[in-house]
Amino acid sequence: MKIAPISINQKLANSLEKFSSQGGEKIANYINAGGKFAIAPLVIMYNPFTKESKENKKWAAIKQPVEAVITIAAQIASLGMLFKGIDKLAAKGKIKFKLVEEAQKTGVIPDSVLKMVNGDKNKAIGELNKLCLDIFKDRVGTLLTILLYVPILAVSNRIFPKVADLLVKDNDNV
Amino acid sequence: MYNITTPITKSKIFNNHLKRVINDDAFAAKTIVVCSVLKDVFAYSVRYETTMNNKKIPEKRRPFVAAMDLASGVVTSIAQISVGFSIASPKVQNKLWNLIFKDAKFQNIGIAKKSFATILALIGSGVITERILVPLIATPLAAQVEKLFFKKEVNTENKSSTNAISKLKNNSMNIDTFIFTSDVKH
Repeated sequence: MKIAPISINQKLANSLEKFSSQGGEKIANYINAGGKFAIAPLVIMYNPFTKESKENKKWAAIKQPVEAVITIAAQIASLGMLFKGIDKLAAKGKIKFKLVEEAQKTGVIPDSVLKMVNGDKNKAIGELNKLCLDIFKDRVGTLLTILLYVPILAVSNRIFPKVADLLVKDNDNV
Repeated sequence: MYNITTPITKSKIFNNHLKRVINDDAFAAKTIVVCSVLKDVFAYSVRYETTMNNKKIPEKRRPFVAAMDLASGVVTSIAQISVGFSIASPKVQNKLWNLIFKDAKFQNIGIAKKSFATILALIGSGVITERILVPLIATPLAAQVEKLFFKKEVNTENKSSTNAISKLKNNSMNIDTFIFTSDVKH
């Protein structure tokens, strides 16, 4: 029996579903870090409107991927711990949403949630609770990301001159 | 059972927010764009403060560099929100979804559609706008503002002195200042 090859759009669909499980805040951080790592240095180096020396540009360009790597590493670690803690509290029943409690009482569940579980009302409450918890984690995650900005900036400002010194051989750096 | 999260998880405002995010994919994507912009607003505010206190930047130039931090923050935020919100609109989303995933099968199409809107809005606002469009627009704009600002400053200090203007014009930015300002633009 021949197995039909998976089309490109199905591959994209599978990747999208995998990526979706990460949650909004993590996705935002990945995209931001990706842009800073790959796009920002290119724009600095090849910006036709800048008249800076090549060495100056290189220094500024190197700062971007260094900061991106430090930022995403710190965010993954801290958000991972935060989300784990929230999940533990939720599993113990310590985080309860008014929206879920009302749905349990009245039996009224948002249509979009019912569609996700093919109309199964028993599964719908669980799905609604999961969605509420994911959104809650995203918002708390945003606050944590903002709080982390200052220490991350301090660390990357210490590390990046060392990396730039290694990579840019320039008499001015001595 | 009461704990630290209860005032939020039981509040009317937060539960209305939950309801809208669950029911409206465009609103969900817009919220993530706003959260992303909030982080930038905070980052630019911190940069403004650190620039004002950065003794490596000449005192004369400090207010201008700090003002550029602030101005870049405002321009970037407005541009990101405009692009992100436009991409998150249902019309754009439906067109792109049908274009990319016409025959694709999903385990949970609802969540996939929500993530698709979020990812596209973030790429549009956080990558294309923040990292490409704004730096390209900001660089010539900054040069023009710098020209105007320093001309004005020198004129008020010593109207007859043309040497001061040429001195400032010839005084190329040191590497610390450049990296600092390039941070603002990128």
